[in-house]
Amino acid sequence: MSAQPNELATYSAQFERYANALTAAERAPRSVQFSRFLASGFPDKHQEDWRYSDLSRLAEQNYEPDVTTAEVSPIALLPDADALVYINSHLQDAPSTSRWHSDTCELPPPTTGVDALNAAFASGGLRLRLDRGTRLDKPLQVLFVSRADLQASMSHQRHLIELGDQAEATVLLDFSGDGSERLATHFFDVRLGRGARLRLYRIQNEKAGGTLMTRIDAKLSRDAKFEAVTIDLGGGFIRHDLDIALAESGAETTVAGLYAQAKHSHIDNHVRVVHAAAHCTSRMNYRGLVDEKTKAVFNGKVVVQPGAQKTDSEQRIANLLLSRKAEVNAKPDLEIYADDVKCAHGATVGQLDEVALAYLRSRGIAKDTARAMLLRAFALEILDRIEWPALRARIESALHLPSELTVDFEA
Amino acid sequence: MIRLMNEPTFDLNQGPATTMAANPQTSAAANVRDVTAMVASRKLYSAGFITDIEADKVAPGLSEDVIRLISAKKEEPEWLLNFRLKAYRRWLTMTEPEWAHVDYQKVDYQSISYYSQPKSMKDGPQTLADVDPKLLETYRKLGIPLREQEMLAGVQNVAVDVVFDSVSVGTTFKKKLLEAGVIFCPLSEAVKSHPELVQKYLGSVVPFADNFFAALNTAVFTEGSFVYIPKGVRCPMELSTYFRINERNTGQFERTLIIAAEGSHVSYLEGCTAPQRDENQLHAAVVELVALDDAEIKYSTVQNWYPGDENGKGGIYNFVTKRGDCRGARSKISWTQVETGSAITWKYPSCILRGDDSVGEFYSVALTNHRQQADTGTKMIHIGKRTKSTIVSKGIAAGRGQQSYRGLVRVLESAEGARNYTQCDSLLIGDQCGAHTFPYTEVRNPTATLEHEATTSKIADDQLFYCRARGIGEEEAVSMIVNGFCKDVFKELPMEFAVEAQKLLAVSLEGAVG
Repeated sequence: MSAQPNELATYSAQFERYANALTAAERAPRSVQFSRFLASGFPDKHQEDWRYSDLSRLAEQNYEPDVTTAEVSPIALLPDADALVYINSHLQDAPSTSRWHSDTCELPPPTTGVDALNAAFASGGLRLRLDRGTRLDKPLQVLFVSRADLQASMSHQRHLIELGDQAEATVLLDFSGDGSERLATHFFDVRLGRGARLRLYRIQNEKAGGTLMTRIDAKLSRDAKFEAVTIDLGGGFIRHDLDIALAESGAETTVAGLYAQAKHSHIDNHVRVVHAAAHCTSRMNYRGLVDEKTKAVFNGKVVVQPGAQKTDSEQRIANLLLSRKAEVNAKPDLEIYADDVKCAHGATVGQLDEVALAYLRSRGIAKDTARAMLLRAFALEILDRIEWPALRARIESALHLPSELTVDFEA
Repeated sequence: MIRLMNEPTFDLNQGPATTMAANPQTSAAANVRDVTAMVASRKLYSAGFITDIEADKVAPGLSEDVIRLISAKKEEPEWLLNFRLKAYRRWLTMTEPEWAHVDYQKVDYQSISYYSQPKSMKDGPQTLADVDPKLLETYRKLGIPLREQEMLAGVQNVAVDVVFDSVSVGTTFKKKLLEAGVIFCPLSEAVKSHPELVQKYLGSVVPFADNFFAALNTAVFTEGSFVYIPKGVRCPMELSTYFRINERNTGQFERTLIIAAEGSHVSYLEGCTAPQRDENQLHAAVVELVALDDAEIKYSTVQNWYPGDENGKGGIYNFVTKRGDCRGARSKISWTQVETGSAITWKYPSCILRGDDSVGEFYSVALTNHRQQADTGTKMIHIGKRTKSTIVSKGIAAGRGQQSYRGLVRVLESAEGARNYTQCDSLLIGDQCGAHTFPYTEVRNPTATLEHEATTSKIADDQLFYCRARGIGEEEAVSMIVNGFCKDVFKELPMEFAVEAQKLLAVSLEGAVG
């Protein structure tokens, strides 16, 4: 939908201010991106990919560029990990890991919509480059903390994770914030060399309020392995795009996702896996506990391109709808252009099993406890994918679901 | 016992040179022989003959004047003309939808003639004897038992309304239906004889501006069937409409309206063919079903519009809006479709489950071969309490065919205890085709239960080998396996249709293997 010229006026004004501070060489590619953004505007519900996540309301917002905020505490650093901390897109001092940060970023070929907005304003961010055969000995925790400023602000960052052949790393993208009215977009360019292996955790635990959009574009070479676990525990308007291209044969990806505990959130996960070569494997498993006034959107898509024979792919999406005000929109798509493939997908929406609940109650377990036990059991399939004990403990505690049985004998 | 004699109901495959008789007594071996003979004789689309009849055709183009002309030719009341014009004005502001997973040359709406009537019918046939014998010959070729004596001979127990280009040719069994109180007639006749019913229900399920093609249809629809089943009546026979596009450069815009009053029951069949032509022809129909309390409508379609040749030249654009409204409590609407024809199919027979405890069903087999493309599926909108829906979709892609299932299951806040079960399977034959699935689920009630399952696979080598080892030719083996794959849907079809659908499938797959 092309926007009315005056609709995006505040963005134009911001861009002008921003571009004036740049050199001519820096400005040109960003102007291209910005004009792309102006041409397409914010996507609205008439665009298939944004059917349930209309962004047209952003058009009239006035977001100031964010400013460095004084250091904030406490920050939830995990033990046994290196940390890189961004507060409103500004890097905090971290001598040990600052080599993984870059102030500049590569711009993509011209894109449209939100991606173009991100590219036009993009500042640098994480730049993790591992040479062939190297292994990050500790997991890297990258924190993105958003804090209230006086006025609504926006930030746009671009990040790079590039693993050489046989390189290995574990990275945690850790989003938290106070729920202030902000617009933040993040683009992660992930490139995995032959036989490389990346474990990527993306945890989002913001308070309701702001708008956060992330896009992870991952490209896998031969025999590379990409394991992603994505967990949303809150947030205002959240949109995650995860695009995985299995570009060479033998590449493998597993994506596990959980959204839970949110109260007034809009959580939209778009996951797309493209099988571009033969003999690749993909697994997608998302689970949602959708409560209170949360609107959950899941769009999975597996594309099997011509010639990608012997593809083995599976998509599973299961939701528990726990409240009358909540809403689930799920869509596991398949697009298949090869015949010797094994592709399955399934989606369910339901509620807690009354029989199971009655069984637990009959054994003296309080209703709330019984309910929590069942919810935890439902989420366990995803939680079990977290192979980082400290992180798992943190998420379990945030979920408020008991991991041990406590029996009380209240009437 | 299959009620198929030498003159089968919908034997669309019966090519001119075919000697095959669909005799139920034939042994399995004879069946194989028949199939082989049939396949051999049917290298080309056998329903693709053109009937040479003088036609009264409006010059191509679309404007308010054309709509007024159509309306005048049909001697329509003013409200209907206004309804058309309202739709047309809205249509002008709408854009053709592009979200479907199909790729085609856009239609030039000004090059289509919106009205074509066989000339010799100008005065309207009073009885079937008045019908142009050439027309009857056409239907004989298609195997439609139009004449009542066939019923007397015990061949058939189906009442047929035949729509040829834009005009309904004749409706059989009027008398028998009338005794039961059933109204089954061309829509244009119903407008005159039962205006209050038509005015009450027309456009009440598919609003005039529902979508681009529905708006176009509303503006220019020319014919279709009207069915009204009164309270408590179980329609004594199956009703059927047969559509055929004959004239060059015409579009077919029929409109069907079926109303089942409280406690009634009707089963309705629909079949379609078109002649073989190089250019694409547009078919944009609207079907509206209304089921009141405890009523049941079963709507079955065998769609065999000309699919174009191997290289994708010609063929029908089948852009159809079909929707059923389960308006009453405990009502039921069941769609069954076998889609083997058309170059492009864009079709989503849907159910609005408004009444408490109402039931919606959708059973579909869609096949795309050569360069056919189909984007088809259903919508189930759960509004009433304890509403139930079942979706079974079987897609078969062969050659360079592209096959998409697109389904929506929406559960609104009010739909306590709604249930849906969806199963959509795709079968790929050859490595040039594509099979796609787009299942939308939108749930706003925590007591709802939805399940969606889908698989995509090719014909298993071991199944094929098993058949081949028992002396069954590859083509028959594929046909057998495909029929097994579609069984869940075929068993929902009325008997005559089921037999025909199986054969149609075998013939449409011709050339897909080996």
